[in-house]
Amino acid sequence: MSENQKKVLEMLADKKISVDEAYRLLDALKTEGAAAEGAGEAGRTGKPKPKYLRVCVIPIRGHEHGEGHGHDEDDEDDEDDEDDKGAALVNVRVPMSLIRSGMKFTSLLPDGARDKVTDALHEKGINLDMRNMKPEDLEEIIEALSDLEIKVVNKKEVVKVFVE
Amino acid sequence: MKRPPVLMRVQIRGEERKFCLWLPLFLLVPLVILLLIILSPVILIAATIVRKRGCGRRVSPVARTSLGILCSVRGIRAAFDVLCSMPGLRIDVCNNKERVYVSII
Repeated sequence: MSENQKKVLEMLADKKISVDEAYRLLDALKTEGAAAEGAGEAGRTGKPKPKYLRVCVIPIRGHEHGEGHGHDEDDEDDEDDEDDKGAALVNVRVPMSLIRSGMKFTSLLPDGARDKVTDALHEKGINLDMRNMKPEDLEEIIEALSDLEIKVVNKKEVVKVFVE
Repeated sequence: MKRPPVLMRVQIRGEERKFCLWLPLFLLVPLVILLLIILSPVILIAATIVRKRGCGRRVSPVARTSLGILCSVRGIRAAFDVLCSMPGLRIDVCNNKERVYVSII
């Protein structure tokens, strides 16, 4: 029994409210409690909105920078290893809002330029017509990105693209 | 509410030297606004000239497009949107000897 329910019953015992009023108050409290519980459930099971797009390139040998989350900003002297010369760790974090704003820029492209971009994408095998892009589509794409995880491994490095 | 970035951290580390820079972007905002106000007549005149020349025979299409975007309210708004979306952007590229780190806060 919650504190509010106890209070209602105490008020009824003190004859401050009638039985009918007490019933209605208890009913209202019950409904409120169920709604709050439902919202909590949705919060637990619902997917969190993606916040950042991460691109990580992690060298496989000789580096212990930590699985794609960059290394400590203050670490100064890395061990030199001739075998790994040129192998770079890349850690890029792009806010989703920046992607959203960037995509909105496409509406400012002149028609001629937009057609050229669309053609170039077609040539690369990407069937994306920028003229038909709508804000709703964009939101849908960004939402779908939450399931995205790309991992490419070769001899030298691991490339990971994911959303967090 | 959207807000423009406040700080930018740039860190470059080479084999021999390194430097770390904290750029107070919030101090640049009034300067940019001032610059835009000062340049607005020039932009307006340039836009008018480009428009009068119609197809822009003497002006390259790139310049015409750039000015067109710059002069439109939508363009400025979109640019501001992009600017306001930048906090959180982080780029970190490093190898054994060199490192470039840019972070916008």
